[in-house]
Amino acid sequence: MREEISIWFFGGVLFLCYGLIVFAEGLWELSHPLVNPPVLSNLHAPIWWGALMGIAGLVYTVKFWPKKHRD
Amino acid sequence: MQGQLLGAVGAYFDGPTRSLAHLNAVDIAVIAIYFGIVIFIGFYLKGAATTSEEFFMAGREMTAWIAGLSFVSANLGSLELMGWAGSAYEYGILATHWYWIGAIPAMLFLGIIMMPFYYISKTHSVPGYLHLRYGDGARALSAVSFAFMTVLMSGINMYSMALVMKVVLGWNLNFSIWVSSITVALYVGLGGLRSAIYNEVLQFLLIWLGALLVPVLGLIEAGGWTNLKHQIGERLGSNYVHLWSTTGQFSNNPMGIHWTGLVFGLALVISCGYWTTDFLVVQRVLSAHNLRAAKMAPIIGAAFKMAVPFIVIMPGLLALVVLPFHLVGESQAVATGQHSYNEVLPLMLVRYCGPGLLGLGVTALIAGFMSGMAGNVSAFSTVWTYDIYGAFLNKKATDKHYVAMGRWCTFIGVLISVGTAYLVQHAASIMDYVQGLFSFFIAPLFGTVILGMMWKRTTKEGGFWGLLAGTCTAIGLFAWVHVDPSALRYVALSPDAKGLAEDMYRALWSWLVCVIVTVGVSLATKPRPVAELEGLVYGVVPLPVEHDDHWYQKPIVWAAVIAVLFVILNIIFW
Repeated sequence: MREEISIWFFGGVLFLCYGLIVFAEGLWELSHPLVNPPVLSNLHAPIWWGALMGIAGLVYTVKFWPKKHRD
Repeated sequence: MQGQLLGAVGAYFDGPTRSLAHLNAVDIAVIAIYFGIVIFIGFYLKGAATTSEEFFMAGREMTAWIAGLSFVSANLGSLELMGWAGSAYEYGILATHWYWIGAIPAMLFLGIIMMPFYYISKTHSVPGYLHLRYGDGARALSAVSFAFMTVLMSGINMYSMALVMKVVLGWNLNFSIWVSSITVALYVGLGGLRSAIYNEVLQFLLIWLGALLVPVLGLIEAGGWTNLKHQIGERLGSNYVHLWSTTGQFSNNPMGIHWTGLVFGLALVISCGYWTTDFLVVQRVLSAHNLRAAKMAPIIGAAFKMAVPFIVIMPGLLALVVLPFHLVGESQAVATGQHSYNEVLPLMLVRYCGPGLLGLGVTALIAGFMSGMAGNVSAFSTVWTYDIYGAFLNKKATDKHYVAMGRWCTFIGVLISVGTAYLVQHAASIMDYVQGLFSFFIAPLFGTVILGMMWKRTTKEGGFWGLLAGTCTAIGLFAWVHVDPSALRYVALSPDAKGLAEDMYRALWSWLVCVIVTVGVSLATKPRPVAELEGLVYGVVPLPVEHDDHWYQKPIVWAAVIAVLFVILNIIFW
């Protein structure tokens, strides 16, 4: 028995991690505004961009979850 | 403990130099996760790289999507991203030509016309094809020049990347060079081409993830594309936002180019030479699991390549309007302390991205650099092992020995690259020469390969002497203009031509000389028996017929779709 991990699974995990981190940072900034905010910070890009990444990452992580099979 | 660790890492990141931005703990976590996954992939795939076919060709098991994304990602280095974003700032939308006419037709040509010959000949490399078609002379010339130039280019890219990281983030030069090269050496040395390809796919996704927000937010700030065009036109003139309409005369556009140079020099020679004969990119397609996937991979790559200007050229154009200061050339930036054109992409990242997103953008730049370097060292180790070591130095070694040689070559290739990076640090002018040298080999090589594939009368002697004559022509023209700059009017056909126009015409002349010499010598020498050319030359034997269940599975259909989109985009931005 061996597990085969698809490249898309790695991509999903990476997107999911980054989505969660960026989304959490965006929420944190709502209550703790940055001292030197970037331009257009009023659009709260980390929240929606982080959420989009997280959802895409979750879909790929689940869809390409490593399956055990016999060689 | 965690604070101490971050502090220690931060000390490396915050060098004594003035920097544009500072990364916080979230950004460093984003970068650390990337490095963690990349190294994990190398260790995970180590067991799948035990034979030479697995190590050098990824077992020829890649799907069209993976091979296609890797094909385009290996070319999408960070210097490519930052350099062309800077060119867009300097020259306007004309820089898009290097992504569209300078790539798309050649990629489709590779997929539809040339790939069948590379694939069915079962060659391991482009010099390997030359060996099958022309014998050892052309192979040796091509392999040695490719191996030598590949590691040198890798070192130059490494140094330039470290320099940008120093300017933008204040990172220590040695830290950037060593951490990135050790990581690349580890994952390519362990997992071979498969590991390089897996990481290139991840890196491609990351580049989009990290860079896509810049044009989106930039267009919002500028008030949309129409407003952006209007503002650029008002400030700099409308020739910054037209692709073709200003190329009727050299002096009408900021790049100093002419459409004949774009069509014949860039599209016909340089682009075809790079995308169809540079083993760095062709190797990715050769790893496909069947002929259909090998044909589809460059077509998929072309579709994504066509979209890249949105994350590369658009930020450069936006910067012309939204940045409150003016960027200058590299030498002026060094002298005055201003920001250079090449820093436009990091500057735009810093403008729109706060913590987390900035880390993501910086990770995208690092990922771009590492994908380019991984491409260089994996191609170097393959060409060295198969076409130099295995072909001339040790022909009878075991498969296991060649795999070990490939692993060692990966590490040695990285070390030579690091050495080159330090050499360039002390003698910056080397960079210009090496970048020039690289272009000397590509254009004539395309002449040699395309004649070999399309004309069965081409002989071994014709191939070798044509390649040599074309290469010498390119070097001669370069030296002529270098010694006497006024010679540009002859080489590039106009005194108003600039550097990029010179590159295009030099490539065109060297390709023409290669073709003429190859044809002349071939007609004067004895042709190879047709039976020996099976699978190598068009028209000798029928190519394998593909049986697609549906029309939409045919590569030619998708190539046509991409070609139509390509034409439409050129008309829209005419």
